[in-house]
Amino acid sequence: MADVYTPDWYAAVRTAINDAVSDLADLPDGDWMVKVEIVGDGTSPYVAEGDERHFLIRIDEGRCDWYREVDGDEEGVRLNYRFRGSASTFDGIADSLVDPIDAALSGEIKVKGDMRLLMRHARHVAVLLEAYAQGVDTTWPEGRPPYEGGD
Amino acid sequence: MRKEYDAIIIGAGHNGLTLGAYLARSGLDVVVLERRHEEGGGLCTEELTREGFLHNVHANYHTFVDLAPPVADLDVRGHGVEYVRPEVQMASIYDDGTALLIYDDLDRTCESMSRFSAEDAETFRRLYTEAHGFVDLLLGTLMYRPPMSVKELTRALATFGVEDKTEFLSVKLRRESINEFLDQHFTDPRIKAHLAFHGAICGYTNDVSGLAIGYPLLVGKIDNWHLCVGGSHRLAHALWRDLAQHGGTMISDAEVSRIVVDDGRAVGVRLSSGEELTARKLVASTVDVEQTLLEFVEPSEIPAELHSKVSNEIQHKDWTLFSVHLAMAEAPQYEAAAFEPDVDRAWVVNLGYGSLDDLNDDWRTVRGGGLPVPRPNAAVNSLYDPTDAPEGCYTGLLRQFAPFSLAGSGPGGWEGIGRHYGERCIEAWRRFAPNMNDDAIIDWVPFTPLEISQKMKNMVRGDWMMGEITLDNMLDERPLRELGQYRTPIEGLYLAGSTQHPHGFITFGPAYNALQEIAADLDIDPWWQNI
Repeated sequence: MADVYTPDWYAAVRTAINDAVSDLADLPDGDWMVKVEIVGDGTSPYVAEGDERHFLIRIDEGRCDWYREVDGDEEGVRLNYRFRGSASTFDGIADSLVDPIDAALSGEIKVKGDMRLLMRHARHVAVLLEAYAQGVDTTWPEGRPPYEGGD
Repeated sequence: MRKEYDAIIIGAGHNGLTLGAYLARSGLDVVVLERRHEEGGGLCTEELTREGFLHNVHANYHTFVDLAPPVADLDVRGHGVEYVRPEVQMASIYDDGTALLIYDDLDRTCESMSRFSAEDAETFRRLYTEAHGFVDLLLGTLMYRPPMSVKELTRALATFGVEDKTEFLSVKLRRESINEFLDQHFTDPRIKAHLAFHGAICGYTNDVSGLAIGYPLLVGKIDNWHLCVGGSHRLAHALWRDLAQHGGTMISDAEVSRIVVDDGRAVGVRLSSGEELTARKLVASTVDVEQTLLEFVEPSEIPAELHSKVSNEIQHKDWTLFSVHLAMAEAPQYEAAAFEPDVDRAWVVNLGYGSLDDLNDDWRTVRGGGLPVPRPNAAVNSLYDPTDAPEGCYTGLLRQFAPFSLAGSGPGGWEGIGRHYGERCIEAWRRFAPNMNDDAIIDWVPFTPLEISQKMKNMVRGDWMMGEITLDNMLDERPLRELGQYRTPIEGLYLAGSTQHPHGFITFGPAYNALQEIAADLDIDPWWQNI
């Protein structure tokens, strides 16, 4: 059990991802630097309206190397992917209420980066997303999605 | 003329200039060589009729503005380019006097559509909304990256379960034509005709099997048509300015006759004048693949099998465009304005295609070398850009689907009939806009498919798309699988023109994607990948 968006939760997500991908063949080569930007939309209690929380994730050879909260873009860090969306969307994903592929297809989450790699490693990406959404026993101390007043 | 550069780029169309500008910004010493007297290629604006009337000879519609990364990366607007996104983007006028409008606003478009079918209007709203949601993903995946294969793409879509998550995007689209897609989802023949016409004018012929796979992307940007204020050539000039400001050079009237190859590597070019220029790092051609690999290099310098394929298997469009450029004292006043007043403010008007069969019949006629009964599309740029004509006047453009080679007389047959067919196109226009008479039309000139290929040598057989759009000539198979990733068998020789993925039109895509491969090969820091 870990409170959402806390260091314990990042560690749990990391473990869940690595457990999930451990049986996969053909993990992607090299490392990916992934940034997730969660934008407060007035409904999530975890990101105030107008505020943003940013997370930097390093995927190495298909496994999550580390996962940490950052203030913004860090100098010297070259991103491979940037995912940006509202807090209620990301909270919904973390609570298995929102399908991350749906969110990307509908434009609720904007994705920047080389989509070919994500497509070529679709199986890996799907497993990784599933682990993120379903692999952690998340607790929601300030309230759990869906939020009142949200979509 | 200097003799040595890091990079030599053949062709100063928008792809050549774009690639040149990126490489110059990356610190390379770049020269872009142009056969014609000016930069621009298809971004060609000329006073074809009378002084002060600016006619876009080729590219008129810029549909990737703010979607294509180079627009921002190369500060196109900072170099003086101004775009207008017309409020009434496009219209179809039908023989029954009705008209359907595409606005820059989805609600208004659906309102117009609902006058034909409320059900279709709601379907279109869902299609547009869905397509608009994933247009960024599709552009990132399909347009502005070196291409994947259709197989890779469909496998990924299946893995992500996209078919279950969307209403319109499906792996089976790769087996369907746009006609089939429209028949499955829409009911009103006039709405289907308009949507098919939109595909066709984007190069996606509605009766070709497999092209439904690209149709959602077309719908996602159906209302993103932009007009380049002052003529399309302004964009070429802006790209040239960016190139020059970053130390690059563009030389006009510099016709390449040979790519110099030494020990399997492209090391320079020879001009028709006899001069030779040395390339320290690369040569990139943005002209057609036939010129590049059959005329510019010796047959012995590429594998015989590839030489044979380039000679025999490059696919060009099986239809082209006949144009009439007009100088006008009045804007058209359509009778259909009684049904839909805003039709008089539509930038582009499709005249008379009322069903898919209307379009299909014309494709059959054109493919047989025949001239269809004219149903031109009419664009009046001056409605949204008054600077392209003298005060109070209008610049007009009629475009008609047509064959390059006429049955019985071949391409040369156009020399004798261009004027007559132009008159028929104007008559067809007048049928819908009776004021387009001799008082309103100050002057006009035809521009035939033959003239396209004469003016723009790389538009082989009038192929303004520089390669047919079919399932087996897209993505990594365009123009051939061996050449689908912008490299050639000759080390240091790249293909970066519209023969490559994604295709023609002002997409910037071929140059942008070739840049990624060149950067990887030459270890250039990809500063433009500002993720």
